Amino acid sequence: MTATLPASSAPNVVDEKEIVITRVFDAPRELVFQMWTEAEHLAQWWGPRVFTNPVCECDARVGGAWYIVMRSPDGKDYPCGGTYLEVTPPERLLFKNDAVDADGKVIIDGLTEVRFAEHGAGQTLLTLTTRAAALNEQMALAIAGMHAGWSQSLDKLAEMFTSH
Amino acid sequence: MNVDRLTATFAALADPTRRAILARLASGDASVTELAQPFEMSMPAISKHLKVLERAGLIVRGRQAQWRPCRLEAEPLEAASDWLEQYSRFWTESFDRLDDYLKAVKKKETKHDRNPARK
Repeated sequence: MTATLPASSAPNVVDEKEIVITRVFDAPRELVFQMWTEAEHLAQWWGPRVFTNPVCECDARVGGAWYIVMRSPDGKDYPCGGTYLEVTPPERLLFKNDAVDADGKVIIDGLTEVRFAEHGAGQTLLTLTTRAAALNEQMALAIAGMHAGWSQSLDKLAEMFTSH
Repeated sequence: MNVDRLTATFAALADPTRRAILARLASGDASVTELAQPFEMSMPAISKHLKVLERAGLIVRGRQAQWRPCRLEAEPLEAASDWLEQYSRFWTESFDRLDDYLKAVKKKETKHDRNPARK
């Protein structure tokens, strides 16, 4: 089930890891696939909770590009994007997912495969395999910044609950 | 997470010689002479690498013995691998949102299906 992704050929790799995450969604795979491949839907769920996606472009064809700008609650932008290497509705997606810094320099070089399998009555088993390589120490700063954004949003959420 | 510390860790890890030194130390303490052996490098060059590793907190050097053995310090490496944990969290949080969003989309679709005027 788990695909082995090709190793990165990028130079100056500091650290490279692979993550596999599975999740069952209570929706047919055609619908789940659509959520991944249409910008209006993708923008609604991509990224950590309470982040927004003010920019979301998605041309889900082989060779097509996607580009998302995630915005943290404190207004910091985290752009990411890449190209599609394989698009097989409603079964499989293979795309590059790179995180870039403010100057457009790639700081995380990622390759992600998403498999959509039928799972019981109208459910979908999604298997995500992502291979990410951190290219330099700037990545640590970006990740740390993202972490700060999450913590802040969780604090806000906690505040909301206590004030009600 | 201490960002400066993490940056120092990654800067230290960016060099293949320093990674090889750490790999050697993972199997036990070693003297500078022992560490220099596998590399065709001068003692001053090795010493420079050790200083970078020491500053990043990745190794500690013995004070008592004259040959000052080098020892691997695991904690900063563990902190550095934490970025991966953050990355995993990115996906799990996205999936939580996708789950909620799918519920909303399905609800909307059902509503449309039940409304014959829309067909």
